[in-house]
Amino acid sequence: MSAQTQYNNLVLQTLAQIGRCGLFLLQILAAIPLSLRHVRETLRQLWFVGAMSLTIIMTCGLFVGMVLGLQLYHVLAIFGGSSATGSVVALSIYRELGPVVTALLFAGRAGTSITAEIGLMRATDQIAAMEMMAVDPIAYVAAPRFLAGLIAMPLLCCVFCAMGIFGGHLVGVNWLGIDNGTFWSNMTATVDVWQDIINGVLWKSTAFGAVVALIAVFQGYTTPPTSEGVAYATTRTVVASSIAILALDFVLTAFLM
Amino acid sequence: MIDTVQAKLDDRALVRIRGLTTVLNGKTVFDALDMDIPRGKITAIMGPSGTGKTTLLKHITGQMRGNRGEVQVDGLNVPALPRDQLFSLRERIGYLFQNSALLTDFDVFENVAFPLRQHTRLPEVLIRNIVLTKLQAVGLRGAASLMPSELSGGMARRVALARAIVFDPMLILYDEPFVGLDPIALTQVLKLIRTLNDTLGITSVLVAHELAAIKEVADHVYLIANGKVVAQGDPKTIADDGSPWTRQFFGGEPDGPVPFQYPAGDYAQALGFKQGAA
Amino acid sequence: MSQRKSYAVGTGLFIVLGFAALAYLATQTSSIANSHQGASYRFDAQFANVGQLKERAPVKVAGVRVGQVQSITLEPGKDVADVTLSIDNTYNQIPVDSVATIYTSGLLGDQFVGLQFGKAKQYVADGGHLGLTRPAASLEDMLSKFVGAGGVADAIGGTYAVRADFTNVGALSVGAPVKMAGVAIGSVASIKADPVKLDAVVTLAIDKQYNQIPDDSSVAVFTSGLIGSQYVAIQPGGSPNSLKDGDQLVLTQSAMQLEDLIGKFLVNGSSSGGSSNNAGGNGSPNTPAGKH
Repeated sequence: MSAQTQYNNLVLQTLAQIGRCGLFLLQILAAIPLSLRHVRETLRQLWFVGAMSLTIIMTCGLFVGMVLGLQLYHVLAIFGGSSATGSVVALSIYRELGPVVTALLFAGRAGTSITAEIGLMRATDQIAAMEMMAVDPIAYVAAPRFLAGLIAMPLLCCVFCAMGIFGGHLVGVNWLGIDNGTFWSNMTATVDVWQDIINGVLWKSTAFGAVVALIAVFQGYTTPPTSEGVAYATTRTVVASSIAILALDFVLTAFLM
Repeated sequence: MIDTVQAKLDDRALVRIRGLTTVLNGKTVFDALDMDIPRGKITAIMGPSGTGKTTLLKHITGQMRGNRGEVQVDGLNVPALPRDQLFSLRERIGYLFQNSALLTDFDVFENVAFPLRQHTRLPEVLIRNIVLTKLQAVGLRGAASLMPSELSGGMARRVALARAIVFDPMLILYDEPFVGLDPIALTQVLKLIRTLNDTLGITSVLVAHELAAIKEVADHVYLIANGKVVAQGDPKTIADDGSPWTRQFFGGEPDGPVPFQYPAGDYAQALGFKQGAA
Repeated sequence: MSQRKSYAVGTGLFIVLGFAALAYLATQTSSIANSHQGASYRFDAQFANVGQLKERAPVKVAGVRVGQVQSITLEPGKDVADVTLSIDNTYNQIPVDSVATIYTSGLLGDQFVGLQFGKAKQYVADGGHLGLTRPAASLEDMLSKFVGAGGVADAIGGTYAVRADFTNVGALSVGAPVKMAGVAIGSVASIKADPVKLDAVVTLAIDKQYNQIPDDSSVAVFTSGLIGSQYVAIQPGGSPNSLKDGDQLVLTQSAMQLEDLIGKFLVNGSSSGGSSNNAGGNGSPNTPAGKH
């Protein structure tokens, strides 16, 4: 009985949280015209959220590409198809690994810092101070970070994919000895711009960017203004973003394929 | 009867609170509170911890709304104001937060310039002049390029004060401005409050516990407890009005109208003794 | 101020880097890299079977890419595929007696058209025709049955229904393509079990423009790709009468076991010991063809 009640409460709380998050998104969207006055702030956030994440994204992209090259080469060799390594590396990066891994890294690197920053701003009354200075904190704090996430994710994902292809090329061609021309011609023969790059890389990563940025901003904005609250909110950002990314990935893949 | 009292106060009071009732989480914070903040004076609001002094300031700025009653600032009923009018009212109110609330991303100069940049399109030279004037007023012109993390508590509070007066507001609300300051910094802040009030003609509202400081700076004191004003008057004489509240509060007695014990059930029962058996 | 400027520069660099990466991905690693914008000329060639050749597949001479496949259509009234090749103007000296062959690059690779030069002094001109063609070689022929899916015919001109009974349709599903000479000419409209004869009744919806299929043609269920879906292939017979709406195709060949196909192939082709053993173990006879 009590387990049942607890379960019901959990479901209700989760639903309420999703509902609040949705309403918060509406608030942000409504504040976007106002936040266009703070273009400079959006650019500054783009620097923190995007440019500062480049190192981790590039490093991870390189290694993901290298691992894929190594694994796929040997698997494909069983079927005598190791010349297809280039195309399989490219397809798996474009369609799945690029957007998903970039989004997970983005949630860990940028999402948590957004949550912690906004949470601390709340804990130290900076949000209240903005309201007191007649500055709408949704327009000045939430919306620029949301926009920055929305813009940074696809760009980061493109960089990740490029590094992944480079890593796959490094392992496949320079190390395992696939012919350079074969590697590229196989890749260019199978990768379709619309299906794989526009749908796979750009749309997916933009959607992921919106989800991660929304969750991060929301968690930071609604956290209890204590150091404990900020710590929990940061953890919740990673957990909720990861679940949302993978669930959304399934839905988007089903729609875009 | 009440009407005539209000009419008499109207020209003097900048903030008028009438019958304010606020219930938060089932606890009555204000119970039909009446208060007038006179124009151009320094008014101190005192009271035991947890009586909602900061909450009262938030009602004046419209960050919180009561369940009933009126909060009038310069003739405008704050709880009924639409958002844009509330924002334009707030531009005329300075608020000094307990922990200064400086924006950690910006240096001291940009923190003071922040309201100007948000609400005006002034040329950079003019912004610079205004900001440096305000920083000079609080004695921190030399610290313009420091980041908030490099400031001491007293300096941060003075920067916050410079930011609060950057628009030359009609009203400044100080939330616990003396907490955590050493005697030197405390005197500096005291002097600033007095000077700003006298030179700029700003109405000031102070929420504080430090009786000595209040006696030095305030023109009028309200003592609130249990959601009501329990005493008011001149800070030098209010302690002598004979009510149990003022005796406990200003005398610093541990027990009195504000009980030492948090409300609890029967002690003997909680320890497991049968009633009357002990 | 300077602090703000450095943000702006860094952010600008980041944005430029992101778009550069996007441009690189889009132009260098995708099919756009293959679509030469340079001037080209076209000629066509007829193949008995194009297998899994696709549009935009490369055309190569001595292994060097010289152009791409422009279009693949079925010659009306014939079971012959008409392939238009688009060749770069740089390579405008292809002898008219050259032979066009369809090859598969590797086991899993796509198919491409290879040109072997003849000895004639005349060269193929724009809009010309290449007479000598060779369909996919025997290995490719077999592979073509299970590599690459290809699209379903668009059925713009309406369809007519033909019925065929199979003992086993394998994993054939409604909507699967119906192909002749490797070109999609229709799709599977329905699959039902016959309650009396206990076999599968498949209705094929064939595009009306292909209305000259001999009525004694045979149909078979093939698997496209190693891991791919199945499709129905029509092999034309010799009867002078054409199929009409509601006709039944009596010569049917049921779905083969994929394991058998791979087994057959890998015993010949693979160097991997493990796979050969597997394949050898599965080398059972094909499912008997269901003929009525």
